[in-house]
Amino acid sequence: MIPIQSFLVLSALLFAIGFYGVLARRSAILILISVELMLAAVAINFIAFATYRDPKAFSGLVFALFVIAVAAAEVGLALGIVLRLFRERRTANVDEANSLKW
Amino acid sequence: MDQAWILPAIPVAIFIVVALFGRLLPRQGDFLVILGGLTVVGLVFSMVPGFQGAFHEGHFAPDGANAFSFDWVNIGQGFFIIPFSTYVDAITMVMLPVVSIVALMVMIYSVGYMHGEARYHWYFAVLSFFIAAMLTLVLSGNLIQLYLAWEGVGLASFLLIGFYWERQSAAEAAKKAFITTRVGDVGLMIGIILLWRATGSFDIQDIIAVAKSGQIDHTYLTVSMLFLFAGAVGKSAQFPLHVWLPDAMEGPTPVSALIHAATMVVAGVYLVARFSPVYAEVLIARDVVFYTGLITAVMAGTMGLVASDIKRVLAYSTVSQLGFMFVALGTGAVGAAMFHLFTHAFFKALLFLGSGSVIHATHAQEVESLGGLRRKMPWTTTTFVIGSLALAGVPVFAGFWSKDEILAATLEDAPLWTYVTLAGTAILTAIYSTRLVLLTFFGAPRDHHAYDHAHESPWIMLGPLVILATLATVAGFFALDQVGQSLGFVGGIGQLVFLEHAHPFTEPEWLLAGIATLGALAGIGIGIAYWHGDARRAVAARQWAPDLHALLVNRYYMDNLYQAVIDRVILGLGGVIAWFDKRIVNETGVDGGAQTVGYLGYRLKFLQTGRIPNYALGMAVGLITIAAIAFGKQG
Repeated sequence: MIPIQSFLVLSALLFAIGFYGVLARRSAILILISVELMLAAVAINFIAFATYRDPKAFSGLVFALFVIAVAAAEVGLALGIVLRLFRERRTANVDEANSLKW
Repeated sequence: MDQAWILPAIPVAIFIVVALFGRLLPRQGDFLVILGGLTVVGLVFSMVPGFQGAFHEGHFAPDGANAFSFDWVNIGQGFFIIPFSTYVDAITMVMLPVVSIVALMVMIYSVGYMHGEARYHWYFAVLSFFIAAMLTLVLSGNLIQLYLAWEGVGLASFLLIGFYWERQSAAEAAKKAFITTRVGDVGLMIGIILLWRATGSFDIQDIIAVAKSGQIDHTYLTVSMLFLFAGAVGKSAQFPLHVWLPDAMEGPTPVSALIHAATMVVAGVYLVARFSPVYAEVLIARDVVFYTGLITAVMAGTMGLVASDIKRVLAYSTVSQLGFMFVALGTGAVGAAMFHLFTHAFFKALLFLGSGSVIHATHAQEVESLGGLRRKMPWTTTTFVIGSLALAGVPVFAGFWSKDEILAATLEDAPLWTYVTLAGTAILTAIYSTRLVLLTFFGAPRDHHAYDHAHESPWIMLGPLVILATLATVAGFFALDQVGQSLGFVGGIGQLVFLEHAHPFTEPEWLLAGIATLGALAGIGIGIAYWHGDARRAVAARQWAPDLHALLVNRYYMDNLYQAVIDRVILGLGGVIAWFDKRIVNETGVDGGAQTVGYLGYRLKFLQTGRIPNYALGMAVGLITIAAIAFGKQG
């Protein structure tokens, strides 16, 4: 059996990469992809714990399904915003949407 | 007698009506006010029969209901009660006729004197208000009500002194009067509070009873009585708070007659007389009263000698005579003091109204514009002379009887030198009153324009003068037991206002009376010698002692002293406080706070870059911090 630590490390790594992507990317789409990455990492984490702790209980698996559903909804919304931003500014570059400043 | 509260209620109602609707009423409401005055006089006289017949030993008052009270404020189930109460006893019965008769005379006189003045209805309205307040004061059974009425008469005085407020000097005089008496009133309030703390009650008779029973610490009681006297000093214009009364002459002359001669200024005398049983327990306080009165009598007498405005001379004379009354109170001779109050009210009001007659006729107040008026104004002259004789203390006239009583009391109960001083002041009184009469009515007229203009006053003004002159002549005889008994009282006025023991004025002591008469006549003689004709001797005397003359004319420089204190101390302190308020509270506190916030805002606003990655970073940092703290706590 693969030890649980590997799944947890995998999950942490993916989360960190996604976190970095959210903070450091310029393009709005790439930021969204990074967010998805973070959500995937979280799902892996849940499933790992669910499977390894108690195979009979599947609350962790149900939670992973929730994550997928939420991710889908959130992406739908986010893409809608990005499209709107693109139509106004002709660019998906997040740095350029800075008119709410001092 | 227990319906005595009606007495002030009538003038109050009239005041409200005339103040609000005066302009619309026919004749601007003056007849209403006079009607009120007549009613009050009538009611007072209807109360007199209750006081005839014998009194019980030690009681001021006859049997039956003479007190009326209901609780107006009651906090803490009897812990703090302010009642509305009236109390009528012999002292009240001496004050009531004085107040009501003089008020009525002044009201009638004012119809003539104030004819055609602007704000005529307001004058009469405030006059009515004043009567109401004075009656409340005299009838008060408790100290809070007395204090309220005390301030009420002060207010009326302020309004009336400043009646011609278009004149700067009148407005200043009104302010000065109110502020000076206010200084005394603070003392009065402190005294009232001290007495309440000691006795738990504001009721005057309760306080007297507790004080006489010896339950209150002696020093505490002395201090309270001194504070109470401070109020009297302010209101009755005694040294050192006498400075407002001469200036108060800026008001219309009938006002001076009523308020500043006969009624308001005697409120202080009334207060001390009311508490005389308590003052008898704390002789130190009584001595303070005595010496204050003595100093004031002498000082004011000397200042009256050189004053050049008729009303000023009379004002100083009033202050001096009030000093006499306090001297009497200071020896415990309440009867003598009240008697002098009684007679003084009549002849002083007479003198003031007479001077008003002169002013009305000649439009001049300064003595250098007058002279020789007796040919043009015979009635005024005669009544004025009668008033002066009463003031000087010539026998038969009222002043002689009351002044003699005071001198007798001083001889009995005080050091001999005080008697001599007081007798000297009495001579001085005769001198300056003779001076006034001679300079105004005799000799050659100094200002021919004024003299030609002069005419005798109309009967509406002369009537009160005649009535008051009659009273000034006969009021003195009230001292005699025979007169009192024939009127139905148990005796003369001495029997009416006795203390623990009767101090009857049974027979005048002939030696004392003789000395007093000689003194009065000597004073008149000196006055005639110095001021008759063209007053050669007086002018020479002035050049012989110019510094002394300057001292007196400048009122012992007391006004300058007070002004210096106000300028340096009070306004200086005010400047310091103003600086504090401006610099520290306003600029540092208020403005500084605002500016700090603004500056911080200016520096911090650059955090709002508008760039989404920056905000994302902020969220991340915050999240990590919270996570660290949360896990730190758990671990």
